[in-house]
Amino acid sequence: MSRAIWLLFLGSLVAAAQDARALVEEAQKRGVSKSQRYEGVLEVADSGGKVTAKRWVSERLGAWGSSKTILRFTAPAEVKGVALLVLNHPDRSSDQWMWTPAIGRDRRIAMQDRSTRFFGTDFSFEDLEERDVDQSDFKLAGEDAVDGAACWKIEVRPKATRSSQYNRGFIWIRKDNYAAAQVESYVKDRLARRLNYRRIEKVQNVWTARLLEMEDLRRKSKTVMKLEKLEYDIPLKEDDFTVAALRRER
Amino acid sequence: MILLRLISWPYARKHLLRSILTTAGIVLGVALFVGMHTANRSVLGAFNRTVDRIAGSTELQVSAGESGFDEEILERVQAQPEVRIAVPVIEAPVETGLKGQGNLLILAVDMTGDRGLRNYDFEGDDVIDDPLVFLAQPDSLIVSREFADRNGLRLQSKLSMSTMNGPRRFTIRGLMKTGGLASAFGGNLAIMDIYAAQQVFGRGRKFDRIDLAVKEGVTVEQCRAALEKLLGPGFEVGPPGSRGSQFESIVKVFSISSAMSSAFALFIGLFIIYNSFSIAVTERRKEIGILRALGATRGRIRNLFLSEGAAAGIFGSLAGLAAGVLIAKGLSRYVSGLLVDIYSVGERSDEITIDPGLLAWAFAIGVATSVLASFLPARSAARVDPVQALQKGRLQVLSAGENRIRRWLAVTLVAICAACLTLGGSRPVFYVGFFSVIVASLLFTPSLSLWMARALRPALQWMRPIEGALAADSLIQAPRRTSATVTALMMSLAMVIAFNGLAVASYDSIVEWLDSTFNPDLFVNTNRTLGARSFHFPAVIGEQLSAIDGIQTVQGVRTLRVTFRGTPILLVSADLRGIARHTVNPRAVAGDYREMHRLAGEGKGAVVAENLAMLHKLGLGSEVEIASPGGVLRLPVVGVLRDFSDQLGTIFIDTSVYLKYWNDDTVDIFRVYLKKSASAEIVKGRIQERFAGERRLFVLMNTEIKDYVIRLTDQWFAMTHVQTAVAVLVAILGIVNTLTVSIGDRRREIGVLRAVGALNAQVRHTIWMEALAVAFIGLVLGMLLGAVNLYYQLDIVQRDISGLVVAYRFPFMASLWLVPVMLASAFLAALWPGEAAVRSSLVEALEYE
Repeated sequence: MSRAIWLLFLGSLVAAAQDARALVEEAQKRGVSKSQRYEGVLEVADSGGKVTAKRWVSERLGAWGSSKTILRFTAPAEVKGVALLVLNHPDRSSDQWMWTPAIGRDRRIAMQDRSTRFFGTDFSFEDLEERDVDQSDFKLAGEDAVDGAACWKIEVRPKATRSSQYNRGFIWIRKDNYAAAQVESYVKDRLARRLNYRRIEKVQNVWTARLLEMEDLRRKSKTVMKLEKLEYDIPLKEDDFTVAALRRER
Repeated sequence: MILLRLISWPYARKHLLRSILTTAGIVLGVALFVGMHTANRSVLGAFNRTVDRIAGSTELQVSAGESGFDEEILERVQAQPEVRIAVPVIEAPVETGLKGQGNLLILAVDMTGDRGLRNYDFEGDDVIDDPLVFLAQPDSLIVSREFADRNGLRLQSKLSMSTMNGPRRFTIRGLMKTGGLASAFGGNLAIMDIYAAQQVFGRGRKFDRIDLAVKEGVTVEQCRAALEKLLGPGFEVGPPGSRGSQFESIVKVFSISSAMSSAFALFIGLFIIYNSFSIAVTERRKEIGILRALGATRGRIRNLFLSEGAAAGIFGSLAGLAAGVLIAKGLSRYVSGLLVDIYSVGERSDEITIDPGLLAWAFAIGVATSVLASFLPARSAARVDPVQALQKGRLQVLSAGENRIRRWLAVTLVAICAACLTLGGSRPVFYVGFFSVIVASLLFTPSLSLWMARALRPALQWMRPIEGALAADSLIQAPRRTSATVTALMMSLAMVIAFNGLAVASYDSIVEWLDSTFNPDLFVNTNRTLGARSFHFPAVIGEQLSAIDGIQTVQGVRTLRVTFRGTPILLVSADLRGIARHTVNPRAVAGDYREMHRLAGEGKGAVVAENLAMLHKLGLGSEVEIASPGGVLRLPVVGVLRDFSDQLGTIFIDTSVYLKYWNDDTVDIFRVYLKKSASAEIVKGRIQERFAGERRLFVLMNTEIKDYVIRLTDQWFAMTHVQTAVAVLVAILGIVNTLTVSIGDRRREIGVLRAVGALNAQVRHTIWMEALAVAFIGLVLGMLLGAVNLYYQLDIVQRDISGLVVAYRFPFMASLWLVPVMLASAFLAALWPGEAAVRSSLVEALEYE
């Protein structure tokens, strides 16, 4: 999911300069893997400081832009067994289904309003989508340092053909390993969300942030996502990424 | 203005009680008009407010009537390029069991997408404790903070509600701040996940409707046209406000009844004012004569009395407006309760909607009625000859010429009425006939009152030789005074008799219908009442019921409201051949009873209720056309039945047809016939035991269902009690007024009587007998006019209100009850005037002598 979120922010912004786009493409290329599996911990802190935590197992199969992901929540007890299937498409919004075992049925999540928050976190559904670089324009906005690491600061604007809640944004790509360090997203030219990538480690030759902090600056709330037991290129079957498979509780 | 201040105001002050009684008629009429219309508008307004608040930024709604539609329709609508966002909705009122809280409206939505249309969180706070838990747990509810505070509920509190699977406890996982959406349905609103609601309400994989917003750059009309083309005629696509117009047509039936009641009250108010002003003109003849002698023109005298009428109208209307607003609150609760019970639609109506336009209209009607009522007395005052006015003598005698003209006019109108009856047919002819007979009765009343007073004289004299003769003479010598009161009483009683007659006839017809068709031993229902349709049974329950020991036959019935020619009527689907087999004394209005059920059972036709046939001019062979999710259903009418299921009309089709066109196998009610040896009580217990804690169901005995229908009828006709109360009030007002004037007129006469030795008791008895005689004459004439009025009212109901045909039955019992009630009212009304007569100063009374 971390890569998905990284890419999604990447994809959700627009480019102008060819060198900026090349940087983004290079960053994408370095993050490529056939599949991914991890156990995630999600901590949401509201403006009052109340923290709620959830755990899940994420499996992803396929190349960037057309990957398939299944998230299965494992804790707390109230959400155990709830599963989410995301089928990404390079040219359009992803298809998403949700399985709720207590009702015993799946539902298709309509992606008409992608600015809706993802189940009470500070991520929106749009933030979870993988978008191709062709859907944005990129422009190098300068150089900057994030957490002491030198980065390229790239301005991203969605192309007119693409609908987005954000009108622009910035992405910081580390010069040493081409990993994303920070993303800022603007709604009507007002900073709405900031995503920070922390604990960036090399896992099976892929530089990956093991901790992501998403801040909603309008709500003044924060979601922290930790990636544990992360593995790349593990054997996963296509059949496990279907709506029928979603219903199979594990 | 000067005359009004110098002449009229001192007179009104001197006769304060009479002035108050005079305006009381207008107060009553205006209060009823404002109260009833405000109550109806409040209920309608509350419904519209809820629709509006729930709609949020919804621009169009897609629905297929009460049956709902398959989930796949949602994806088709969402894929339409003109649609920006489309979300599914299920809406149902449920009982919470919380004391004094009434129903809770469940708005079931898909929270993953719904927030694009509706604003759930206010001031940036989270509305849901944990959105994922809310979706994951089917017991999740979001309620308004107002509702939570009223019931001591907090986040994570439990709230018990009935579900299809028996009573279940729900957890409050979100609170909405007061205002906006949260204030819909009087704050009794709860949000639930739509997929959980499908299970809770037994809806299968269906939604009630889709709320949607159009894409930028697309007009609502363009989107509507595109969706109508996409979905076909079985679906209704319209703005949220169009739901209000359907509700309005349901409320319309009640509004007509309310309008009639208030018009009736105002009409009687008109006679009270006419009476008072006629008396005032008579009393003030000398004063008028002096004014005329001093140079006042006829026009000024006429304007003086018209101004007095206007002043009485203004004061009476203002008081009526205030009283109307006060009574509207109680009435609106009654109306909303009635609509919930009968039509299963309704709204908590805690706040009343005051329409300034309505108040202005009521005020104008009140003043106009008063001015109209004072017109004839004003004209009469203007015609007073100053020379004659200053002479002594009796002035109340109706001239023979005047009476003759009235009688001729009345006879002419009766002839017109008879001609209209003979011609029959069209609506204008019918109403001309009705109007003629009413006006004829008004014109005849003075002569009839006089004749009856003369006829009563021997009887009164026989009872009390002196007092009886004096009382009768007083009535005979003041025919204008007597006839106006008698007219008010007569009109009032005629209306009471018509309403009671309508009720009696309806009861008889309904009982006959119940006995004929409601003959299963048990009814198994998803809801406590027959009208509510929030929950549905899956078809499998029918098989499970059949397996219970003692049950012979089970018939599933599905009822839903559908739109037929723009009116929301009732559609009943059932095994029609099965029902025909069990009907006792089958009777058809048109067509053969068995044959129509056979044809309808084979899907070759529809059976329609007589009222629907009447309202929409349907006959055998006419085609009924109903839009359904599966396309337009067109069936010929193969039979017409007398049926009282719905005031707007009913169409009966076979279950197989319903299943084909609506793709819905759910059932609202099972009609259960038992084996001959089985006991209904025991089988009822077995059913309850079989489904205990597993299914929400209510088992009702045959008598319970019939009692329920009769109770509903009672509620509907509760208005007749209001009519009777108004009649009694009118009687008291009219008689007190008449007697007060009578005593004033006969002050000298009473003084002489007392001076020559009449006892106080004799004076009292004279006044009492006069009052009882007026009441008696009013009763007789009222019953006669009531009998005629009932005939017309039955026709009006049939032609223009509900199409229901009920046989003419004069309400003998109610009429018998009216005799002691009206005589007692008259007696009560005479007590104070009687006392006033004996307590007046003898010296003042004989001052002239």
